[in-house]
Parts: sequence; structure tokens; C-alpha cells
Amino acid sequence: MGYDWDFWVVFREFGLLMHGLINTLKVTGLSLTFGVPLGLCLALLRLYGNWPIRVPVGIIIEFFRATPPIAQLFWFFFALPILIGVEIDPFKASVLTFSLQSSAFFAEVFRGGIVSIDKGQWEAAKAIGMNRNKSLKRIILPQAVKRMIPAFLERAIELMKTTTLVGTISYADLLYEANTIAQSTYRSLEVFTVAAGIYFVIIFVCSIGVRQLERRMARTGETTAH
Amino acid sequence: MDYLWDFQSILNNKQLLLIGLQNTLILAVVCLVLGLAFGAIVGIARYSRNPILYWPSTAFVEVFRNTPVLVQIMWFFFAFPIISPFEINAFTAAALGLTLNTIAFSAEIYRAGIQSIHKGQWEAGKALGMSYTQQMSRVILPQSIRRMIPAFMNRAIELMKMTSLASVIAYGELMYQAKVVSTIEFNPIEMYTTVALIFFAIIFPFTLLVQRYEDKQREKG
Repeated sequence: MGYDWDFWVVFREFGLLMHGLINTLKVTGLSLTFGVPLGLCLALLRLYGNWPIRVPVGIIIEFFRATPPIAQLFWFFFALPILIGVEIDPFKASVLTFSLQSSAFFAEVFRGGIVSIDKGQWEAAKAIGMNRNKSLKRIILPQAVKRMIPAFLERAIELMKTTTLVGTISYADLLYEANTIAQSTYRSLEVFTVAAGIYFVIIFVCSIGVRQLERRMARTGETTAH
Repeated sequence: MDYLWDFQSILNNKQLLLIGLQNTLILAVVCLVLGLAFGAIVGIARYSRNPILYWPSTAFVEVFRNTPVLVQIMWFFFAFPIISPFEINAFTAAALGLTLNTIAFSAEIYRAGIQSIHKGQWEAGKALGMSYTQQMSRVILPQSIRRMIPAFMNRAIELMKMTSLASVIAYGELMYQAKVVSTIEFNPIEMYTTVALIFFAIIFPFTLLVQRYEDKQREKG
């Protein structure tokens, strides 16, 4: 166990790690931007579409939920470009995969939220002359979304953890840069430990925030059991 | 879009893929069994009021729940061997990462399950003259485990998906074998589609099972 730790090497390359971190956040942020609205669309189609729409949408959601993200990423990076004859770079493939993948999970969060709203709310909206679209938009969704905020944030954290996969198709995220530094400095123990530490700090702070929010919402009775 | 699909090249490499599938299942089963077993111990430690048990187990759970699992696997493969007293190959690194991750997540399931049991059950056990260990193993755990089953099944599903990450450190599981085949045969479309379908075929029945189990429990109340 007489190992000489040398963290100085890592701090000299800290800029590279930060560059990787920014790329991690970029993929996460963009995938969220596309994934959340798409998830809402999928949820509404699955709930209210007639069966030729409902069934395929259900299959797509289940497919993305029941296959490993790395298989999806490889498919979009290695298979799709040949199939459609268009080149897709690692960044686009990553954003595409994680937008679709997270939208499948967000769809289920939305669906759970919408279903959890009491029937009386629908009836009340109907009683004051609202049609289904209007009641959904003005009465149901605002309440549902509020309840689902912790679940959304948890999914967003999961998404950030999943984006570590983009290194496998050589998009330079935090983990990929850590690997690069480890290979050039032979200080893999320090580099990977620091990289894990950076992930931990960001994700832990976010998780604590979510827990606080959940506790506050539980006190005011705004949350649902999920 | 005039692509000619050719699944013959997949069938020619059936043997390679079957080995991969076998390795995937071995990794998943080993990590699930060890993860659930040790998860119970860590979960009970997390529930404990003794700070010597509570704080280390809490730190462990938070570290493994709040870092990406791929980082954990890579850490055990590239970093850990430097200080490790024993040899680490791809399988041990993947198994270590995934098992510790499963321990951390299942510990929280155990803790929540134990917490959900009414205080009266503890008191009743005590009234019968049972020790803490007896109350836990004969009264509390048997009742709470039933409630934890859907959560454990979800963990198993997640774990099955996570085993594919072992391909990154060249453990010859299904995903890795698929990568090998697709470079030999130049058939990424067929190969990665097939792999996705195989995973789906294994995992989807479990998600249905979880849903049915949860519905049934909801009916019972």
C-alpha cells in the first residue's frame, strides 16, 4: 500500500477536465431541452390518442425504457448513419439518443402526474364549459407538472449520470477527458478519483436539493405517491 | 433508404453472441445476489441509531448513489488495481462496480421497507421477549420484504441494463461481442438492432411483471 499519491498532475490538467465537464453539461442540458417537451407529447399521445397512435407510442416508450442506453447510443452512432446515408457526429448522436431515451422516461413521469389528478378536476373544468384540450392545458397540466417536479429532477440527475456513456463514441465529456489524462500521465488512480469526486459533488448537491423540495412539498401536501 | 438487411451474418456468429449472453447473465446474477445480500446489512446499518454503523453506511450509500455507474466501473478497472492487493481483471472490476452500486441502491430499499413497518410490530416482538436480532429477522424483515419485491425487481432490471457497461472495459458480455461481430462483418445495423432486441426480449417481460405485481398490491391496498 506504499503508493505515492500525486494530485498535482491532475490539477495541472484541470482545464481539460473542466472542458469535459462543460461538454457533459451541454449534452445533458440539450437532451433535457428536447426530451421534456417530447416526453409530454408522447405521454399525451399514449393517454389520449386512438389506438393506431397509442399502441406504437407505447411500444416506443417501452423499448427505450427496456434496452440499455449504450445499445441505443451505438445504434444511433454506428447503425443509423448507414441506414439514412447521413453522417452523424458523436455530439449529435449523443444528443439524439439521450433526448429520445429521456423522453421515454419523462413520458411516464408526465403520464403518472396526469393520471394522479382527481377526476373531480376534469368534471369541474367541464362544468364551466371547457373542452378536453382546454381543461388539460389550464386545469390538469399545471397541477400535474407541479406535483411531478421532484420526479423530473430525479430523472434529470439520472440523465446526467447516463451521459458518461458518450465517451464510448469519443465525445469528450468529463469521463473521457479523465481517461485521456490518465493515459498520458499514468496517474489513473488520482485522475479517476478526482473525476468521480467532481461528479459526486454536482450530483449530490442536486439530490439534496431534490430531497429538500420533496420534504417541503410533502409538508404542504402537494406531492403524490409514486 | 434502399438498404439491404442481411441477418445471415448474425446467424453465422451465433456462437459468439451466445457466449456474450452467457457472460451478461453471469455478471447480472452474481451482482444481484451479492448486491441484495450485502444490501440488507448496509440497509440495517443505515437504519441503526448507532453512529459507528450509521455514518459509514450512509457515506457509502451516498457515494455510490451519486456517482455515475460507468465512473465506478472505470475506477475499479483503471484506478483501483494500483492500490489493490489482488489482481483485477475486467470481470472483477465490473462485478465490483455493479455489486457495490446494487448494494447502495438496495440498502435504501431495505431501509425504506423496514421503516414502513408499524412501530407496534417491534413492540409486540419485544413483549414476547425477542432480542433486536430476533425482532428484525422474524418479525420485521419477513413483513417488509414482501413490500420491497417490486423495488427489487426494478433494481434487477436496472442491473441487467447496466451490465452492458462492462463492454467499455472489454469484458466479453453481449454488447462487447456485438461490437466485435459488427467490426468483423461490417453489419452494425443488423448487429446493434439484434442486440437491442435481445435486451428488450429479456427485460420487457420483467417490466410487465413489476407492473402486474404493483397493480395487484394496489388492489389489495
